[in-house]
Amino acid sequence: MVLLAALLTAACGSSQNGADSTATSGVLRVGTEGTYAPFSYQDPATGRLAGYDVDVANAVGERLGKTVEFVQTPWDSIFAALEANRFDVVANEVTITPERQAKYDLSDPYSVGEGVIITRADNTSITSVEDLRGKTAGATVTSNWAQVSRDAGATLEPVEGFTQAITLLNQGRVDAVVNDSIAFHAYQSETDDQSVKIAATIGEKSEQGFAARKDSGLLPELNRALAELKADGTLETISQKYLGANVTGAPEAGGAGRSVWALIGENLWPLAKAAITVTIPLTLISFVIGLAIALVVALGRLSKNLALSNIARFYISIIRGTPLLVQLFIIFFALPQIGIKLEPFLAAVIAFSLNVGGYAAEIIRSAIQSIPKGQWEAAETIGFNYVGALRRIILPQAARVAVPPLSNTLISLVKDTSLASTILVTELLRTAQVAAAPTFEFFALYGTAAAYYWVICLVLSFGQNRLEDRLERHIAR
Amino acid sequence: MSTDEIEYRVVAQGVEKAFGDNKVLKGVSFTVQRGTATAIIGPSGSGKTTLLRTLNALDRADAGVIRVDDVEIDFSTPTTKPEIRRFQSRSGFVFQGHNLFPHKTVLQNVIEGPVIVQKRPRDEAVAEAEVLLDQVGLAEKKDQYPYQLSGGQQQRVGIARALALKPKLVLFDEPTSALDPELVGEVLSVIKDLAFEGWTLVIVTHEIQFAKQVSNQVLFTDGGIILEKGPPEQVIGDPKEERTKQFLQRILNPL
Repeated sequence: MVLLAALLTAACGSSQNGADSTATSGVLRVGTEGTYAPFSYQDPATGRLAGYDVDVANAVGERLGKTVEFVQTPWDSIFAALEANRFDVVANEVTITPERQAKYDLSDPYSVGEGVIITRADNTSITSVEDLRGKTAGATVTSNWAQVSRDAGATLEPVEGFTQAITLLNQGRVDAVVNDSIAFHAYQSETDDQSVKIAATIGEKSEQGFAARKDSGLLPELNRALAELKADGTLETISQKYLGANVTGAPEAGGAGRSVWALIGENLWPLAKAAITVTIPLTLISFVIGLAIALVVALGRLSKNLALSNIARFYISIIRGTPLLVQLFIIFFALPQIGIKLEPFLAAVIAFSLNVGGYAAEIIRSAIQSIPKGQWEAAETIGFNYVGALRRIILPQAARVAVPPLSNTLISLVKDTSLASTILVTELLRTAQVAAAPTFEFFALYGTAAAYYWVICLVLSFGQNRLEDRLERHIAR
Repeated sequence: MSTDEIEYRVVAQGVEKAFGDNKVLKGVSFTVQRGTATAIIGPSGSGKTTLLRTLNALDRADAGVIRVDDVEIDFSTPTTKPEIRRFQSRSGFVFQGHNLFPHKTVLQNVIEGPVIVQKRPRDEAVAEAEVLLDQVGLAEKKDQYPYQLSGGQQQRVGIARALALKPKLVLFDEPTSALDPELVGEVLSVIKDLAFEGWTLVIVTHEIQFAKQVSNQVLFTDGGIILEKGPPEQVIGDPKEERTKQFLQRILNPL
């Protein structure tokens, strides 16, 4: 494995050298501020560049077998210098954003910050983002953290920077500061200020990586080197050295890192559990109740009683003419306004049952109508009343006609239950959303959820085939 | 009085039936004696099938009084469902297109009425059904589904299904019209056997020779009335009415 990695490294390295004339001699030129402690700064003791980003860049260079040459450049002109080929990569806590991603090659993150709520160490009244309601929070006014604070119901105290915010906090002029965990760790490692603490995390992440010119071809080797540094714990060692905390995005020292596969593995059971305990019961209960409603509505629709058939028609029209999501919202959000407050699961069951009732009613109606009149008459001549004829003679035959379209309805319902995530039912999709939010692994987690939905539908399709075979055993083929 | 002692199994008086503006039966009266076979013949649209269906209330007469066995209904007055159901329970019906239940086996078709409607013990109903199926020559087909049978076999199952309810009267609506010609004989011979066994039968048919051979009474319907009735040798052998003669001429010598 190691040999293979080495070979790959060598192969990529040589091809890289051939392709990029500016890096012919195995030199990696790195642009950095040099004035941004503890990430990139001049160590007063040695006079040399030091800091988290500097050491990470050095470690990457070592991995790649390249000499690292630093080029100090002010932040404001650092991207212009990169464009001008003054150096090959920027190592300066470059936050990965979609805008930058469009213009530059951005590596995988080597520092991952998390949104945190910082309070005085003796404060016990704030333990979650909800506790911010009614409190005063300090945050840079244009930052995402300001928005988070406002959304949480806090009064915003605009600040100029992190240090000022902490000062206000220490002075008791704000109750909390919302910012990035890396900024906090950097502050604490610089100042050793123990009067403030992280009171809660808010699940928002910021990720920092290297920036290179677009289509530089450097990304594969940079990312591979970062992955190796994460895997062998080097990155964490550097992080602990400068920040007194692990900000690498890798969870444990010396661990293999939390790969996508590990994340999927961790969530396989929680997602399966959500599918088994919520999605499947929600589907089946709603379908059975829905079918009962559908049968009644279909018979109403077929009734000679004009009032009955018009009521049935109206019901079908409403259900089919309005979005399922709106029906869910009416039952969950609107009914409480007239005093009917339902639990999320119950509200979902009611909404889905009513919905299935409307669609399946038309399927059942047409299936009943497809049975020849002679079958009703034959049932009548052997003494059946309406209900008896329906139950013993008509519905068993109508079932054969109705099963394929009803199976469609059931399979749609399986997937439609994901809409219940919008009314706080922690079904499969909601569980995936919750798992994905802090990790940002949308593809992995939503992909897993999709796979589960697919498996459920596969099983149902199989059941449909079996049922159809059974119902067709009396039909000439 | 036991119902078996009632002389007439059917007494119909002034039966009228219209579908919308179309008056199909314009006051029809006749009787059927216990243990006899009555054939109803007549041109298409003459009302013969409708007449048969009013005897089972598959079509409700608009006016007239019909007694079947011991149940009499005056159709010019409102009727109740239980009344109609009691009326219907006195007769069995064999359809032109058999109308077997396709999702049930031959045996299940026959015992459905006795077991589910009449709530008789299943073992007893099965034993009786097997006798009936043997009688119509289908004992070995009892576990097959209708689609596995020929048209003639399906019609014979239809007959067994009607008989299983032990009706006082068996109604046949053109029982051989939907069959291939070579299958007609097997069905007619079953009906003939029933007539000889003393079942009371009313048969709408185009099989003139069969009617002549089997029936005790022939009704010739035309334009919503019974134009001529009497023993077969009279109505078929020596018709009085010109319409009857024309009809028989066309049927017996189509070319």
